[in-house]
Amino acid sequence: MELGHAVLDQQVRDRKGELMGKVDGIVLELRGSKAPRVARLVIGGGTAARRIHPRFADWLLGWRRRWGPKDDQPVEIPWSQVLKIGIDVKVDLDAERTSAWAWEAWVRDHIIGRIPGA
Amino acid sequence: MSKLLEIALGLVTGIGGFLEAGSLSTSAQAGAAFGFQLVWPIVLGTVCIAFLVEMGGRLAAVSRHTLPDAMRERFGVRFFSVVLVAVVLVSFLVLASEIGGISLALQLATGIRFQWWAPVVALAVWLLLWAHNFGLVEKGASLLGLVTLVFVVAAFRLHVPVNELGAHALPSLPQHDGARYWFMAVSIIGASVSPYLFYFYSAGAIEDEWDESYLGVNRVIAGIGMGFGGGIAVAVLAGAAMVFHSRGIQIDRYEQIPLLLAEPLGRWGFILFVASLGIACFGAALEIALQIAYLVAQGFGWKWGENLKPSEAARFTLVYTIAILLAGLLIFTGIDPLKLTIFSMALTALSLPITVVPLLILMNDPQYVGEHGNHWIANAAVLFISIVACIVAVVAIPLQLLGGS
Repeated sequence: MELGHAVLDQQVRDRKGELMGKVDGIVLELRGSKAPRVARLVIGGGTAARRIHPRFADWLLGWRRRWGPKDDQPVEIPWSQVLKIGIDVKVDLDAERTSAWAWEAWVRDHIIGRIPGA
Repeated sequence: MSKLLEIALGLVTGIGGFLEAGSLSTSAQAGAAFGFQLVWPIVLGTVCIAFLVEMGGRLAAVSRHTLPDAMRERFGVRFFSVVLVAVVLVSFLVLASEIGGISLALQLATGIRFQWWAPVVALAVWLLLWAHNFGLVEKGASLLGLVTLVFVVAAFRLHVPVNELGAHALPSLPQHDGARYWFMAVSIIGASVSPYLFYFYSAGAIEDEWDESYLGVNRVIAGIGMGFGGGIAVAVLAGAAMVFHSRGIQIDRYEQIPLLLAEPLGRWGFILFVASLGIACFGAALEIALQIAYLVAQGFGWKWGENLKPSEAARFTLVYTIAILLAGLLIFTGIDPLKLTIFSMALTALSLPITVVPLLILMNDPQYVGEHGNHWIANAAVLFISIVACIVAVVAIPLQLLGGS
């Protein structure tokens, strides 16, 4: 629980050290009488937005459904794939194989990549 | 790179980069309106920014976190989003002010109205960032920025009475135009304590991979660099007092300010003024546009970096592209660049508690800075200056708007 709170809003890096996003949320697993355990870390704008204000999140997600990448899903990282927690949270994943960069790719393909010299 | 060279480069950046649209125009206006009386806000603002820049560098060197990274982690996304909105808004207005300043310099040089220059200037700023060779450009702009030392030469040529100037390093009450006096005082503090300066500096320290061994370098650069920079702003104010105040002339348009150098230095003075204004604002515009992108990217954990190709950091690139585009458009509408600048500086002062207090909390948190936490004097000075500036701004901004200058 303490650990969960400590990683919230930390920078996430993949196994190559690439920036994947922030820990926007954590999923806790309730275990009866035992203390809850961190099951997954979540990276996703909608998750962060919900922590700012639920209505803001609804508005943001509504807008993102109409406009943006199709694979705009939050990334859920099982706790077992967390390698190290230090300055950043290092996870045993390849950012490119997750949807963490869906927006990065969308902005690159639809806007920035179309400008000469990109 | 040897530390001595880094100190030298840092000092050049500090001195050459201090003066920009905000500090130049607020100092000149204040000197014209109140003589030497408003030296003290420059002193207060310079002390405050020197402390803040030093803190930004120390945070990066000790915690290896950029400022936005640390803030989001420490305060959570909710509070961070408030800081983000405040800093982006203020920085955007300052960016527009700088683009206005460059456009005005081009108007003075060519006679073509500033608003037609705004799109050209915005494109030039954007192209240099797009070419992702920012390090070189920034150092070049800072080196060229040393041309602003001409204001110090001018102050000497105008035989500024140094004793009298020094006497106003301590605050005094205005004899006339109280509302305008306080408004100018907060604008000057806002111009010195622009948040982009310490955010940008801390991002640079991360990119240069500073560690604890840089704390000494950091202190020297922050203290001496900002100190000399503030000295140039004092020279602008003193020169304006000698040239304008003695004749009872108020500055209400940019086009009047070149006289500040033209009187002591003749035709060369005019040319050097145009060069100073253009170069100083250009260097600042590059830094601010980049800092807005850093802040957003670091706050959301996106890829960022001055040396990445635009397609390698698309969202980062998109942020500075939009900021520059909108800032250019704002000047293109023909809004008065001088009024915009002064107003932006007052707003900066108003927002100081939001932009500065979170940094102070981080700098006293052993989790981030370990045993290198703030000295109480640094805490007290920055807290006092930012809260007083904010309170005065709350009172002075409405008065100024009602008074309609």
